[in-house]
Amino acid sequence: MDPNNPGLPVCFRCTAPAVIFQRDSGHHLCGAHLVEDIESRVADLIKTRGMIAPGDRVAVALSGGKDSTALLLLLVSLLPTLHDVKLIAITIDEGIAGYRDATITAAEHLACDLGIEHHCISFPELFGNSLDVFLKGRETQACSICGILRRKALAVGARQVSATKLATGHNLDDEAQSVLMNVFRGDLPRLIRNSGTDSSGKFIPRIKPLSLIPEKEIAVYLMLKNAWKELPECPYTRYALRREVRSVLSNFEYKHPGTMLHLMESREKIEQPCTRPIIASLHSCRECGDPSSSDLCQVCSLLRSLGR
Amino acid sequence: MKLILDDRDERILKHDPAPVEQILREAGINPLDVIVSRNGNLIPEDTVVGADDVIRVIRIAHGG
Repeated sequence: MDPNNPGLPVCFRCTAPAVIFQRDSGHHLCGAHLVEDIESRVADLIKTRGMIAPGDRVAVALSGGKDSTALLLLLVSLLPTLHDVKLIAITIDEGIAGYRDATITAAEHLACDLGIEHHCISFPELFGNSLDVFLKGRETQACSICGILRRKALAVGARQVSATKLATGHNLDDEAQSVLMNVFRGDLPRLIRNSGTDSSGKFIPRIKPLSLIPEKEIAVYLMLKNAWKELPECPYTRYALRREVRSVLSNFEYKHPGTMLHLMESREKIEQPCTRPIIASLHSCRECGDPSSSDLCQVCSLLRSLGR
Repeated sequence: MKLILDDRDERILKHDPAPVEQILREAGINPLDVIVSRNGNLIPEDTVVGADDVIRVIRIAHGG
């Protein structure tokens, strides 16, 4: 405990007042050592998974929310250690009234402050309508529809800026939730899909440098970097299966620290022997030519059902 | 102590010194879903807070 701050645990590395308790390791960290720890874990993951290579042009999906903000800040901080790498920020404006405008403004300011080239693409210009219009009467499917279209929009944006990698801000909580959701749905192909390093030239590899960092640590990191912004929550999250899974998993992690990491390890163990045949079996969508597991890709199939 | 919740809801708690974690659980909050500050400084959830402290709870927003 810190004698000047009664009741406050101290950093296990330097005895300064702690700002976080890492439950799985049992360590307390001060602000400076938490920042160092996160930067080091992200750098290690990028290196061990071969996420970024010399000469890469990395498109960073920047919504302006907390995870993508942390991702861009971390990649910028690691840039001196990455040889001849360029970062370009891409923001997708889905058209969600009362929500997206605030995060787009935050994204614009951040990219400008960091001196990062920034591009914005909207659903209306790409798909003909905003997400709000697409979702009229289909609100309960919001996250599936948005997810499919947003992935496509990011892929288009990444191609437009000649990116060689597409980085997203998915954190450990997001990834562990996805594992559990895919198990609940019985969706084995999606569970083991690895679009990171081996794309076999069929799409721009997508990388997730924050995928082992807990959401809470990302939030504290942003506070420490004076980059925390209180932004609105997406109005469609209340319909999401993910919301229920998040609550269950978060309670489980609280009672059994390490659960989320164990889920990720489980996925990795079954991913390696299974991924290559799935990528090899991809062919081209008959309408847009993008890689697809069936004759018509998810995006073209969805746009047809939405009346386009 | 004064507890300020994310929605600006302020509560005065008559509590003996107790870990933040215990106060959050009693308020129905999972400590993993929030960040907590005491008198303006970030603190871990196992910090013991006292009668004169002002505790602010910030929910980590999801989505986006």
